[in-house]
Amino acid sequence: MANFFPSWTNWLPLKLLVMVLVLGAVVTGGIWYYFTPKYTNVGYMPEQPVPFSHAIHVEQLGMDCRYCHSHVEVAGHSNVPTTQTCMACHSQIKAQSPKLAAVRASWETGTPVQWVRIHKAPDYTYFNHAVHVNRGISCYSCHGQVNEMEVVYQAQPLSMSWCLDCHRAPENHLRPPAEVYNLNWRPASQADQLAMGAEYKKEWNVNPPVTCGGCHR
Amino acid sequence: MKRVLPHPERPDRPQIWRSLDELASTPEFEAALEREFPQGAAEWQGGEMSRRNFLQLMGASMALAGIGLTGCRRPEAYLVPFTQGVEWTIPGKFLYYATTMPRRNGAMPLIATTSDGRPTKLEGNPLHPISNGATDAFAQASVLDLYDPNRSKDIKNGGAKTDAAALGAKLDEIAAGAGDGEGLAFLVERVDSPTRDRLLAELRAKFPKMLWAEYEPLGSTEAEAAAAACFGAGVVVTPDFSRADKVLAVDSDFLNASFSSLDQVRGFMARRRISEPGQPMNRLYVAETNFTSTGGLADHRLRLKPSEIGPFLRALAVQVADQLGDSNLANVASAFPQAPVPGNAEWITECAKDLAASKGKSLVVVGDRQPAAVQALALAINNALGAPGQTLRGMKVSRPAAASINDLAAAMQAGRVKSMFILGGNPVYNAPADLRFGELLAGVPTTVRLGIYEDETSAASKWHVPQAHYLESWGDARSADGTICAVQPMILPLWNGVSEIEILNRLAGNEAPIGPQLVRETFAQVAGGGDLEAKWTTFLRNGFLTGTAWNDAPINFNTGAAAALTGQYRAGKADGLEVAFMPSTTIDDGRYANNGWLQETPDFATKITWDNAALISPATAQELGVATGDMVTLSADGRSIDAAVLIAPGQADGALSIALGYGRDNFTHVTDHIGFNAYPLRTSGAMTHVGGVSLQVAGAKYKFAETQTHQSMEGRDLVRESTAERYAKDPTFAQTMGMDGHIPPNISLYTHPKLDSPEQWGMAVDLSTCMGCNACVVACQAENNVPIVGKDQVSRGRNMAWIRMDRYFAGDENDPEMLSQAIMCQHCENAPCETVCPVNATVHSEDGLNLMAYNRCIGTRYCANNCPWKVRRFNFFDYNQRPLDQLYFGPLAKKGMAESLQMSKNPNVTVRMRGVMEKCTYCIQRIEEAKITRTVRAGASDKSLVPFPEVKSACQQACPSESIVFGNINDLNSRVAKRKAEPRNYQMLKYLNVTPRTTYLARIKNPNMAMPGADKVGWANGHGHHGDHNKSHNGHGAKPATEAHGA
Repeated sequence: MANFFPSWTNWLPLKLLVMVLVLGAVVTGGIWYYFTPKYTNVGYMPEQPVPFSHAIHVEQLGMDCRYCHSHVEVAGHSNVPTTQTCMACHSQIKAQSPKLAAVRASWETGTPVQWVRIHKAPDYTYFNHAVHVNRGISCYSCHGQVNEMEVVYQAQPLSMSWCLDCHRAPENHLRPPAEVYNLNWRPASQADQLAMGAEYKKEWNVNPPVTCGGCHR
Repeated sequence: MKRVLPHPERPDRPQIWRSLDELASTPEFEAALEREFPQGAAEWQGGEMSRRNFLQLMGASMALAGIGLTGCRRPEAYLVPFTQGVEWTIPGKFLYYATTMPRRNGAMPLIATTSDGRPTKLEGNPLHPISNGATDAFAQASVLDLYDPNRSKDIKNGGAKTDAAALGAKLDEIAAGAGDGEGLAFLVERVDSPTRDRLLAELRAKFPKMLWAEYEPLGSTEAEAAAAACFGAGVVVTPDFSRADKVLAVDSDFLNASFSSLDQVRGFMARRRISEPGQPMNRLYVAETNFTSTGGLADHRLRLKPSEIGPFLRALAVQVADQLGDSNLANVASAFPQAPVPGNAEWITECAKDLAASKGKSLVVVGDRQPAAVQALALAINNALGAPGQTLRGMKVSRPAAASINDLAAAMQAGRVKSMFILGGNPVYNAPADLRFGELLAGVPTTVRLGIYEDETSAASKWHVPQAHYLESWGDARSADGTICAVQPMILPLWNGVSEIEILNRLAGNEAPIGPQLVRETFAQVAGGGDLEAKWTTFLRNGFLTGTAWNDAPINFNTGAAAALTGQYRAGKADGLEVAFMPSTTIDDGRYANNGWLQETPDFATKITWDNAALISPATAQELGVATGDMVTLSADGRSIDAAVLIAPGQADGALSIALGYGRDNFTHVTDHIGFNAYPLRTSGAMTHVGGVSLQVAGAKYKFAETQTHQSMEGRDLVRESTAERYAKDPTFAQTMGMDGHIPPNISLYTHPKLDSPEQWGMAVDLSTCMGCNACVVACQAENNVPIVGKDQVSRGRNMAWIRMDRYFAGDENDPEMLSQAIMCQHCENAPCETVCPVNATVHSEDGLNLMAYNRCIGTRYCANNCPWKVRRFNFFDYNQRPLDQLYFGPLAKKGMAESLQMSKNPNVTVRMRGVMEKCTYCIQRIEEAKITRTVRAGASDKSLVPFPEVKSACQQACPSESIVFGNINDLNSRVAKRKAEPRNYQMLKYLNVTPRTTYLARIKNPNMAMPGADKVGWANGHGHHGDHNKSHNGHGAKPATEAHGA
């Protein structure tokens, strides 16, 4: 009786298996790599109701972060400024600018400006700004070069592993307390950063939580 | 070497038991125990839907969901700042304000925690002399009432919506047409509010003939009447338990802060709590009908039918008079109509001897609801015992005169009432049945009703006005000691509520007040001279005005008046059964009926939720042939009610007790079809109890949702108690009970994380002072966003409360002892739950917390299976997001939480979803907040490890008896470390070597050995050393332990 299957088919199951494994590995690897916050969230740059430029306010005008984000040093939330804060200047400066129409409307009607949220930790995560900025972690470490952004975007993944990278080795990010709000400050070298960070860590007793309860309640 | 460590023998007949089924070891009970989760989630239980149409619906909804595929895109979220900054408000930071909860028995001073303008949690005001920072379950739950979506929202005239202008016009019209007040009537609740009193005086000046009546279904003026007769007009007496060595409580639940006062609880507990063996402690005698929290703590308890209370006190008075040779007391006692001595004569004699022996340091307290004759008799006994000035304090109070609801009903009957205001309360539902209040109300031409809910009274009134909650209106109220407290609003009225004083103010013809204007005007009158602005600011900051407590009054007993009063005692019908009406420990007189937190809190004695029941003693039940769940009809004097019977150990024979406030159909969906309304049996002549009741078995069965048998602990020595005498002789008795005296050295097979943080958290619960009042249970619910699940789910064993208030009985089934034990996550160092979690969702922190990462949990429930304490709670459904009557509708159920309820959540605690395990976290959000505050303060310095300010868990903060203490056990000066160092401190199930961080302090009783049955008091654990030694030692293996034991 003739062979139903030619001899090359002997290898078919193995080839198929290898194919499936390779395909599986590629799909898994792809998801592993591309479905993380690093790729899905970084660069998120929604359109805001007011075309506010951090670059103008910080770089050109030299305003401090805390002029608008006034409670960052005392509260868990870093607040977004009230319309009142905007109007403190803009009732005088660029009072008629069409870009500020939404702010003026808010001031007149009492309806708040709805800023689109960019940096969002999940509901079950309790991030606290105050404890970070008071202990030598700069805005820059999480928010990137905001001072140069025309439109704010997400610069870092804000994923749990990214948080833990720093919580396990805070010396990589600790900086002199005076430079926390200076987003242009850089250590002279990576070695400098490590040496300085390690010193601060020891001196200030920096011991960030790495157990679940530190952030999840 | 293999070592088998046996559990202690399970005795054939347990000494300590949770239910009668357990005591009898019925097959049903055994079967129920076999199942970890009484009803599996996997089973289909959806009452009205079949499996088939469920699958159909599921299919349809899957198809619909597929069309959108919206899950792939990041949802847009918004940051919404204020337009104008709000003073003091920092987003994400709590603000604290002093306020006060008005109550009939004296206001409860509070501190409200507000988050972005929303009050989310209430605590006691630690500055206030009577509060000391504690609260009770009602106060804890009142924040939920504020956000209750079922609250009334619109002003209505004849059922049609109208507006505030129309109401104002109507009020002006009534005021203008009232002339001298003839035909104008008010029915209000009892609140000591200086502003209300001031406006009342204004109204009385304007309308001299108006009728002002007060009604409280559970309030009574009998005690005041008796005190006024015996000591002079305006004098009331208040007990000072902190100076009493011997206390006899007769039909008095003074240890439940909801019905007494926080300072009374604290005063008593200060003498109850002993830290060292041999320290003196007080002794408590209780005579009562049903188990109250006071009865549970009693050293000696006597069960009496309600009609026997008076004769009992008379017999006691005769004995005390005998002992002391006091002829005055003998005269007062003999004026009291003679009756056979009820109960146990020896009990009465020995109790009287003991009270008399501590003359000047003993005290008799009688429940407020007892008639003035009985009150006067108790005052006479107290007078003979030398209590005045020692354990009894007199106060001169001034309250405006008020008519009773009976006077009002008579006026209505006679057609003399033309315009009537019902401000608060719900008289159509809860007025004495013989008054037929609803029918009378229909005959009044104009009726205006102010109420939180649109209820029975609203339906019978022409006008309904939504009442402002106390957290959204200005006011003032006096606490029990008379101190004037500020009622500050935390939020603008959510649904256009109006306060009582605003209505009175309008009727008095004054302008509408701006903000606190009305209160401020009263304040100006009472604050005295000086800088009023500064005084006002202090008043609001502290929440009360120092120096406004009632003045002490000398109390000189008037024997003649007392004898005249006691002579008026009228015994009720003595034939047949008696039915006693008791306050519900969960919903009071029914006013909290729509509060899910309270409804789901198990009654501390019966452990039923969402219901009341006719409690009956085991002996009487047997005699009448009824069992738990049997529907019966109770009839007396031509009135009858239907109720389901619940066999309650410790209930007086021949008397049923039924809690008021239930059985309200057509009110809200929360309260429909639960419980039984006892008000129809209650008449103005029989407010405490009704005699001559006949009972017919109706044949139907009723299902209670009891939590007591959900998880049983097999008769092990979980709760431990002993007597003061034994504690003095054998201080470490608690640590050697059961198997604890001979546990072989134990090691854990697992590696556990290092506990190397400077703070190590722990808790100690003192069973000596815990009376099971449930304040902690509700406080935990409020603090930790714990959802309610409804009666159906509770009956399946799925209640979510993180604290389980266990109730044990010990001894004879008819007359047992009762013990309460609060059980929450014990934060074991070698936690068995952690080792079985396949996804590391529950792990240990370096400061000793057993953590629960909700986002990791996949809901295997292995942890709950492996938990020896059964304290883990699983979200079988999305209890927060789905209506409780649609849980089984799957994706078709309405989704989302009422907006107002979202506002009630604590923003610092995750709201858990379906499929997630949860449990007590030791209030980790408070711990972390304290740590963060410390670290922020340290800034760029090394001060991040300075010792903590005291972190209090929510349960500890609420506890009126300071039974729960939480803190850093590494700090040897902390209260928790000191408690744990006491010899009566023990771990539950120590032989498991799980080393729980929560430990218990054994209950110490102080029996009088001359009393009948004294040898059984304080011996709930039997001889306290576990059973048959020879048998149980076989398994021990480890030799040293055996030898140690043998010694």
